[in-house]
Amino acid sequence: MAGGETTGQQQRDFVFSCRSVSLKLPYQGGTRWILADISFDIHRGELFTIVGPSGTGKTTLIRVLGGLTPCTSGSVRINGQEIAGPPEGVIIVFQDYSHALLQWRTVFRNVALGIEGRVAASELRSQVLAALRLVGLEKNADDYPWQLSGGMQQRVQIARALAVRPAVLLMDEPFAALDAMTKASLQDELLRVKQETGCSIVFITHDIEEAVYLGDRIAVINGSPGRIERTFDITLPKPRNQIITRQLTEFLKFRYAVHQAIAGMIR
Amino acid sequence: MTVGRFSGRLSWRPNIAGLVTMAVCGLVWETAIQIGILHYQYLPAPSAIVLGAGELAASGELVAATLHTLESVFLGWAIAVAAGVSFGLLLGSSPLLRRYSMATIEVLRPMPAIAFVPVALLLFGFSIQTELMVIILPSLWPVLINTMGGLMGVHARLGDVGRTFRLSRAAILYKVFVPAATPAIMVGVRISLTLAVVLAVLAEMVGNPEGLGYAVVSQQQALRPDLMFVYVAVIGLLGLALNALLVGVVSASFPAASAELKGPRS
Repeated sequence: MAGGETTGQQQRDFVFSCRSVSLKLPYQGGTRWILADISFDIHRGELFTIVGPSGTGKTTLIRVLGGLTPCTSGSVRINGQEIAGPPEGVIIVFQDYSHALLQWRTVFRNVALGIEGRVAASELRSQVLAALRLVGLEKNADDYPWQLSGGMQQRVQIARALAVRPAVLLMDEPFAALDAMTKASLQDELLRVKQETGCSIVFITHDIEEAVYLGDRIAVINGSPGRIERTFDITLPKPRNQIITRQLTEFLKFRYAVHQAIAGMIR
Repeated sequence: MTVGRFSGRLSWRPNIAGLVTMAVCGLVWETAIQIGILHYQYLPAPSAIVLGAGELAASGELVAATLHTLESVFLGWAIAVAAGVSFGLLLGSSPLLRRYSMATIEVLRPMPAIAFVPVALLLFGFSIQTELMVIILPSLWPVLINTMGGLMGVHARLGDVGRTFRLSRAAILYKVFVPAATPAIMVGVRISLTLAVVLAVLAEMVGNPEGLGYAVVSQQQALRPDLMFVYVAVIGLLGLALNALLVGVVSASFPAASAELKGPRS
């Protein structure tokens, strides 16, 4: 079949492939379009940020990618395969860590959630501890989530996702509820984790600077229903640094361009 | 960090102020009877009740009656908890079942326990079955409703978490939803225990002629108010002790859950 080769090609280059994805949800007796005609590809190993104001369907888009909400029309493929339900190796990290963690389980057992019963006990232990080490929480394995600060709880959620050794992390405004200092240190931690694990990351945010600082590419989503109007290749040098990168002329240039893209669409 | 809030251990500090109040009340009662301010033919003084307690304890009647009531309470309560949790889990996880059953439940639930006594008597006679039926039917509801409500009140995000990790529906229920609903289920279990004690005594007074409830009635008919009051006091202490026991067991088994109920740290 002629299409077979295209699929093989996609498998090497893209993890996700969205084509004309649209979604409507029931709303006050009628239906309401949340997403319209969204198309993009996510390359293997890249950090793809999606930035836009609230109410533009960002969270819904990540739920579609994660297989929690089926799209109304269009296609979402992962490694060339149409998704039906949550795909293997794709984990969502939610914004509201306090609701997403199992408050009655220790940090260790929270991180074990995705692999318990699926790997041998000794392997489970080493995989959980490795994930905790990636986020610097190996000393907190026996704590309960409610004993930790917000930033630490979000680290637990990230470690829980990493423990299953995912190919893709889908992050829904993961740092939005954290203070500026914690946010900065978690941004750098995320870049380091990505470096060490090689996973692809889709990162949703409404913070333009965060999108530019983290992203290899940025998609700007806007409107209601949400559409992706522009994507930018962020060519800032790596490794990125909170002080140096943010002072670069190119950083300010990207920040300005993304800002203009969003503002332009609002008008 | 803040492990100081961790409250898994049981501590026993006697409430001195509360005990003083009780002692004063007892003293006023005793004095009022001794100097004749209170004068009812069948109102004994606390000292007479204490003497009666000694008498009943020595004869073994008190122990036998208490054991019977304890047995009925535990048996009835265990059945009510098992049935209530099972049906509560089913109803809590199936909107379809709820649509078909809630109307029936809302009709049955407010029925007063005492209304079941004649029904049970006709079905089972003066027996332990009558007593169990009177205990089980009303004490089932708090467990069922709290289990169902607890399950429905679990934050939707936890369901998303289960799905993103590709857990099976059954695994999401027992690993995520049931533990998340455990504090609510425990509230139902506790209400149900208190209710079971009351219902056991009631059933023994009017249905099954055994245990503490029947002892109260028979001492009343024997015109022995001192002994009657002993049984009344024992019933009160039994309720208190069972509740304390349950709270102790729950906070020892679910340290995180009970600490979580006290609210997050920050």
